[in-house]
Amino acid sequence: MKIGIMSFAHHHAEAYIANLRAISGVELCGVADEDPARGQRFAQAYNAPFFHTYEALLASKPDGVIICTENSKHLPLVEMAAASKINVLCEKPIATTLADAKAVVDVCARAGVLLMTAFPMRFSAPLMEVKARLDSGELGQVYCFNGTNQGELPTKHRAWFVDPTLAGGGAIMDHTVHLVDIMRWYLGSEAVEVYAQTNKIFHANEVNVETGGLEMITFQNGVFATIDTSWCRPQYWPTWGGLTFEMVTERGAVIVDGFKQNITIYSHANQRPIWQYWGSDMNQAMISEFVSAIRDGREPSVTGVDGLRAVEVALAAYDSARVGQPVKI
Amino acid sequence: MKVGIVGAGFMGTTHAAGWAETEAELIGIVAETADEAKPLANQYNARVYPDLASMLPDVDVVDICTPTHQHHEMTLQAAAAGKHVICEKPLGRTTAQAREMIEACRKAGVKLLVAHVVRFFTEYALAKSSVMRGEVGKPGVIRLNRGSFRPKKPAGNWFLDESKSGGILMDLMIHDFDYARWIAGDVESVFAKKITTANPNAPVDYGLAILKHRSGAISHITGSWAYPPPTFRTHLEIAGDSGLIEFDSADTSPILNLVAKTNSESPDVGLPSSPVSESPYTTQIKEFYSVLLGEKESRITAEDGMAAVQISEAAIQSAATGKAVLLEVLS
Repeated sequence: MKIGIMSFAHHHAEAYIANLRAISGVELCGVADEDPARGQRFAQAYNAPFFHTYEALLASKPDGVIICTENSKHLPLVEMAAASKINVLCEKPIATTLADAKAVVDVCARAGVLLMTAFPMRFSAPLMEVKARLDSGELGQVYCFNGTNQGELPTKHRAWFVDPTLAGGGAIMDHTVHLVDIMRWYLGSEAVEVYAQTNKIFHANEVNVETGGLEMITFQNGVFATIDTSWCRPQYWPTWGGLTFEMVTERGAVIVDGFKQNITIYSHANQRPIWQYWGSDMNQAMISEFVSAIRDGREPSVTGVDGLRAVEVALAAYDSARVGQPVKI
Repeated sequence: MKVGIVGAGFMGTTHAAGWAETEAELIGIVAETADEAKPLANQYNARVYPDLASMLPDVDVVDICTPTHQHHEMTLQAAAAGKHVICEKPLGRTTAQAREMIEACRKAGVKLLVAHVVRFFTEYALAKSSVMRGEVGKPGVIRLNRGSFRPKKPAGNWFLDESKSGGILMDLMIHDFDYARWIAGDVESVFAKKITTANPNAPVDYGLAILKHRSGAISHITGSWAYPPPTFRTHLEIAGDSGLIEFDSADTSPILNLVAKTNSESPDVGLPSSPVSESPYTTQIKEFYSVLLGEKESRITAEDGMAAVQISEAAIQSAATGKAVLLEVLS
């Protein structure tokens, strides 16, 4: 099976290369980038075949492509892939507007290609364990969640993460979608309302997007949930940030930290503690699912619609932050 | 200085232990029944009074440790008799009550000190002083969690009667509403939800609130009565524009008890338990004693107590209406 990578705008593309190469029978057939110099640089660094244009990559007939361009530029690449009947794994958030997010889903449905959203938390071993306990009934009825997806200012990876047009916003756009997806997955219920407050106190003079964000989401089944999306972690915190949630049920609560499986390293070189993750590689499991879904000709366990639903909540959060009241989704 | 305590439950008992560490004389105890007051009175050589009115002529200070809905009337009664008042949190069940209490004490020329003990917990006081020293810059996002099990007090369980206690959004979360306001200033709006709004018969309760401060900071406040006894945990995060303060009671607990339990008894209400040389409740009473002697300023004013009630009231209103509630500027 041949998989290609479209764009290195998102730094996850680099991890996906290693993930693809770890799967037997899968070939990283090529990479392309709208910035050819960048594409060539990464192709060389990872010893991957380089195509000068996306058209050329698609013409080589890969079975699937992973789209890692900036958030606002997903749609045109998805359209190109779908037109060539090539399956798509799209970085999150799948788009920065509702129209684009719907179009991403529609164009793949019409072309009959698989569309998967890159929500790696679905493949986190601790989160899957809690999902299994929930489904077994041992936790009883879920009442609410208290979630955090906090991080450092992501500019150390790529500057565009704080560009309002390319990223579609700041902390809210960056960090709403993972937890919304987890909650939808756990609950089997859709978000119907969101309230949000944002501010720009961290990095106030460096960026033009919100860096602090708190949301309260209500689901169809009555479950309510908060998400802290803030870019509040200083650069000298032991890691980039994290994802946690407390799930409160009639039996009590389960507190989950998706990135707690670390060793702590104190080294002269760093002059501060560093957490190095030893938990299972959820990206690897996610890429394997994309490959398996293509092989089996079935829908992946995380779909484009999942990506669309999460974007809807993030966009509604911006509406709420503007009016200061909850808004319906 | 002669002190009388009203209420001989957990709080009355704790305050009595604090008074014992001062030069003040604890001379009287009032409880709902004389039998309830007797053990505490005996312990401190104090007298049992049948009611507040009969104790008032004998004391300089009334320390009110009764259920929330009784604070207002007892404070007015004490102020009318010209006695200083120490009042457990929440200052009143409503902002209007709190305002009347402040007004009455001002007119009577007596002090009104509200016992928001979290401000006296060493870790919380330390975090506050770190913020004041500018170590994390301007606060941007504050997270405060407080979690325990459902209070299992008998006698009608006033804790669970929202008309009396204000429920979880007031009784438990007012601690952190006050603390958030201490850190980031006055609050402009509140949005809150709790389990028992839509599930009145749920065996647990849990409240979530988002505050917007006039300073631009935003706060996330959590209160839990959902954990199995004897759990009590608190968590604090103050993220500023130049740093971050984190505290978690579980991570800083100096003793990990892996000894087999000899009994499964747990207290009526969840309590913090990081051993320190002086209980924060005692630190609080000692400070109030100094304030009453005119030796120092209180770290919390009655107006702070009223503002905390106002935030809690807004949270209750928000949970009931599903809307964010804008707070009036308190004069």
